[in-house]
Amino acid sequence: MKSKSYSGTGAFFELKIAGQNPKNKEEVSMSISRRKVVTGAITTAAVAPALVAGASQAHAGKAGADADSHALLMRVVRVMYPHARFPDGPYKRTTDAIVEASNKTLEQTKVLADGLQALKAKSFGDLDDAKATEHLKSIETTPFFGQVRGTAVVALYNDKEVWSLLGYEGPSYDKGGYIKRGYNDLDWLPEPRITEI
Amino acid sequence: MNEISKDEKAVVIIGSGAGGGTMAYELTKAGIKCVVLEAGPHLKPDDYKNDEWEAFSQMAWLDPRETSGTWRVHKDFSGLPAWIVKAVGGTTTHWAGATPRFLDYEFKALSTYGKIDGASLLDWPITLADLAPYYDEAEKAIGSTHRHGRPPLPANNNYKVFANGAERVGYRKYATGPYGTNAEPYDGRPGSIQDGFNFQGDKHGSKWNTAVREIPRALKTGLLDLRPESQVIKITHDADGKVDAVIYMDKDGNQQRQAARVVCVAGNSIESPRLLLLSASEKFPKGLANSSDQVGRNYMRHMTGSMYARFEKPVHMFRGETMAGFIGDEVTHNPDRGFVGGYYMETLALGPAFLSSFLDPGAWGPEFTAMMDGYANIAGMWLVGEDMPQATNRITLSSKKDKFGQPVAKVHFDDHPNDVAMRTYAYEKAEALYKSVGAVQTVRTPPYPSTHNLGTNRMSERPEDGVLNKWGQAHDVPNLFVSDGSVMTTGAAANPTLTIVALAIRQSEYLAKELKAGNL
Repeated sequence: MKSKSYSGTGAFFELKIAGQNPKNKEEVSMSISRRKVVTGAITTAAVAPALVAGASQAHAGKAGADADSHALLMRVVRVMYPHARFPDGPYKRTTDAIVEASNKTLEQTKVLADGLQALKAKSFGDLDDAKATEHLKSIETTPFFGQVRGTAVVALYNDKEVWSLLGYEGPSYDKGGYIKRGYNDLDWLPEPRITEI
Repeated sequence: MNEISKDEKAVVIIGSGAGGGTMAYELTKAGIKCVVLEAGPHLKPDDYKNDEWEAFSQMAWLDPRETSGTWRVHKDFSGLPAWIVKAVGGTTTHWAGATPRFLDYEFKALSTYGKIDGASLLDWPITLADLAPYYDEAEKAIGSTHRHGRPPLPANNNYKVFANGAERVGYRKYATGPYGTNAEPYDGRPGSIQDGFNFQGDKHGSKWNTAVREIPRALKTGLLDLRPESQVIKITHDADGKVDAVIYMDKDGNQQRQAARVVCVAGNSIESPRLLLLSASEKFPKGLANSSDQVGRNYMRHMTGSMYARFEKPVHMFRGETMAGFIGDEVTHNPDRGFVGGYYMETLALGPAFLSSFLDPGAWGPEFTAMMDGYANIAGMWLVGEDMPQATNRITLSSKKDKFGQPVAKVHFDDHPNDVAMRTYAYEKAEALYKSVGAVQTVRTPPYPSTHNLGTNRMSERPEDGVLNKWGQAHDVPNLFVSDGSVMTTGAAANPTLTIVALAIRQSEYLAKELKAGNL
């Protein structure tokens, strides 16, 4: 049932992309059914490798997979979400997810390939943080940006290492919840009233 | 489980959430056999996942839908107008648990507010006094904290920030409830272990929902035939215009017909009007029970918005009960604020996975990242208030088809100027509250895909103004009832579940009486 459990994430990728790429909206809104999404390539950092392998036959291409493109794309993700204290791991997995999610149709592959080509032409990889941010700002309404960001935001913040870096503790029920693990440990404000007056 | 023959003219309930689940229990308790057709699977607490995306994909209603209008949900989540649940228990599976009652003036919106341009306001055909005894019953069924002897939940971290801020800006009506999750064992369910997973289904069973209370109890009577993964596509009627059967697709994709003596539609405010529209016939060309042309109109989703604030010190808002924090001071009708109606402020917490997608959809860059980077220090609240019904905010049938070949629902919504004025005011108040306790960064989070979906089959005194009478019975079709939030004439400020349950208990009493009197 692993595949099913990620279908919503996949659907969400598409919903988000649809919002940013009106041209594809009709096609995308029709594709949001569990089955169709599951049979497409669903990618989060956490996705089961077997599912990715199974879905890869449906890939229209493999833009962004070569080392240079991957490094450039990873730089894009870090400029989008610049957590100074994050190591490369989460950004790398997020980039993997983008490559996977961006090769589902020929159109998406072309969007990714063209977008990367344009970044290379601008020597995006050599820009400092401020200049790189400025450049992304200038392309933020493009289908390329929407496609990359839509996957990146989900994959990066659903990454278990990121949860830990951010101080989010994840599943709690099998640990007995937080009733004995700090649900009320905030001590920098007074204890408030809890009853109605 | 009692198997009811498909040829037996049964009481057929469509949906098993707050309305449908309550109807099933109350009617079977009164000795009436019921068939419940639920579109989703029968999930149990062991099936629920402590993971936002996994739970979302497991239980959210993801069937295709369309949107239009100027609301931001259309831009950011165009295929997902509503965030509701498709499973036994319906949206009570992921409801947060807030159980405030509607206030007296909120049943008299038109009389209290007067005519508002662009709004299709009406007074309810019932008053608070009519509903009060059923509110008592509903609160006892749910086990609302702070009510009928139920103790309050303790303060969690998010509440501590919220309540201290409330105190500092001069609010007085703050508390950790009323809330539909046990602080201590009650009604066979345990007290909360503060696990923080709520929108994902409560594995512990401390939270009330119809899948943990009403449905199992109805099954125990031996009078309920529960059929999950059964999606109704049409309600049919006889020559006299009384409903006589429902047509549904079973879990194997086969079409079935269940004969019906009475039909109660409880599929939430998008699917319920969709089903009535899909059931158009020669006799009801605009849709079943739609001589008023009000089916699908007046769609309300509450004025909502969220405020997230980052502090210098840790909060860990995700630990503990998600919405066990209320401020009621702004729930009043005071047009001096620049709008009619009122709103609640309620604690709210999301994990990083959902917060990143919803905080400011589409946002990226250093400022957004600074907020996410301070995740452990973030406190959050939801702002939820009365929105204006508008005839043009409506559910219609699209030209696109679902997997059964049926037109999907199209949801059109534009904010009314009153909604915008209230939201802006509420954001300012929420910012002031968090700043009073030291917020270093605040974000005005726009409305999520709708969790409160209301008004699309509204009750009205006069048949030309609405779809249903004061019992939730169709003006046009005496043996057709609607039992969900779509019956609401106006939306009030309060979270709707308690009122849906109270209305369903009241409706079931009426329905049982009418059945026994041979009137249906």
